[in-house]
Amino acid sequence: MAAPSVAGLGRRLRAWLPRLTQVRWSRYNPSFIEPEVNKELYRKPQEELSEEEKEKLELKAVQPIKAAPPSVSSSVFSDPMISKFTNMMMKDGNKVLARSLMAQTLEAIKRKQLEKYHKAPEDEKETIECNPYVIFHQALKNCQPIIGLSSITKGGKTYQVPVPLKDNRKRFLAMKWLITECRENKNRRMLMPEKLSQELLQAFNNEGPIIKKKHVLHKMAEANRAYAHFRWW
Amino acid sequence: MAAPVYPAWVTRWVSGQWRQKKRPPVIRPTRPLVLADKVANRREQAGEATCITEMSVMMACWKQNEFSDTACAEEIRTFYDCVAKAEKERRAQNEEDTLTARGNLTSSKVNKLLRRFPQLTRYV
Repeated sequence: MAAPSVAGLGRRLRAWLPRLTQVRWSRYNPSFIEPEVNKELYRKPQEELSEEEKEKLELKAVQPIKAAPPSVSSSVFSDPMISKFTNMMMKDGNKVLARSLMAQTLEAIKRKQLEKYHKAPEDEKETIECNPYVIFHQALKNCQPIIGLSSITKGGKTYQVPVPLKDNRKRFLAMKWLITECRENKNRRMLMPEKLSQELLQAFNNEGPIIKKKHVLHKMAEANRAYAHFRWW
Repeated sequence: MAAPVYPAWVTRWVSGQWRQKKRPPVIRPTRPLVLADKVANRREQAGEATCITEMSVMMACWKQNEFSDTACAEEIRTFYDCVAKAEKERRAQNEEDTLTARGNLTSSKVNKLLRRFPQLTRYV
């Protein structure tokens, strides 16, 4: 039997010592399954469940389940897009402040729309959208770019090639543009909720600086459409 | 006495075959003769860009309608469909246990397999 090698000893010692930095990957056993947060699925009576759903329920009774993270909630008021946007607005882990800013933004949108609603004549009242969540979602959808540019090096030169983007990347870009626009181009005395509500309402109507930025990106992609063949995926 | 039959190497030695270049190769291996657990990276055939026609149609529509998304909704939808289809095809092609057109596995897949079944170095 060979004597334990020095390298093996070193590796074992390093595994035993505690980490100095946090890990970002999950340390669950692969047999653990994701928790189901949707309340509607649990409210369904036994008869309405299909075969596979019954099987899944039986499996869940025996298999171990991961703990639900604090960011997902089963309440009707929770919205994953709004949570993501709040997280992106958060600075230095101050979630309380970010959430309160988000709430104030939605309230400001509602107030502005209600003001418009009450001032408008009877026939136009139906066209005014008062639900701030609907406005938020539609504004984000309007801000999402359709194609992006990616730098590809060919023959020593780097070209900006128009490339289709994934859904996650589109959502991220829309939110990032919104937040940077509100942080940089505002009056020093103007507060974030007011500026954000202004930008969101402008984006809802397809106008404003973020829509312009999206159009600039589209124009650049259109100008570079000759390089589209440099893509290999 | 009949002519003595010498072994083959004697005849070869006597003929002077080995004194020139035709010596049997003497290789002294510098490392132990053990197969590594990976193969060299092979440059795979580069694919082509997908969905270019849809993209150009969409851009032509944009140019006509000043980049408004509502006017070009149909073209944008076809572009998205094409992109989704290309992505699915690509995923199906890159799935494990699929061979290329030539009947080989890509070097990354081979490396994954070899990592699961490494070469035994000790006597167990």
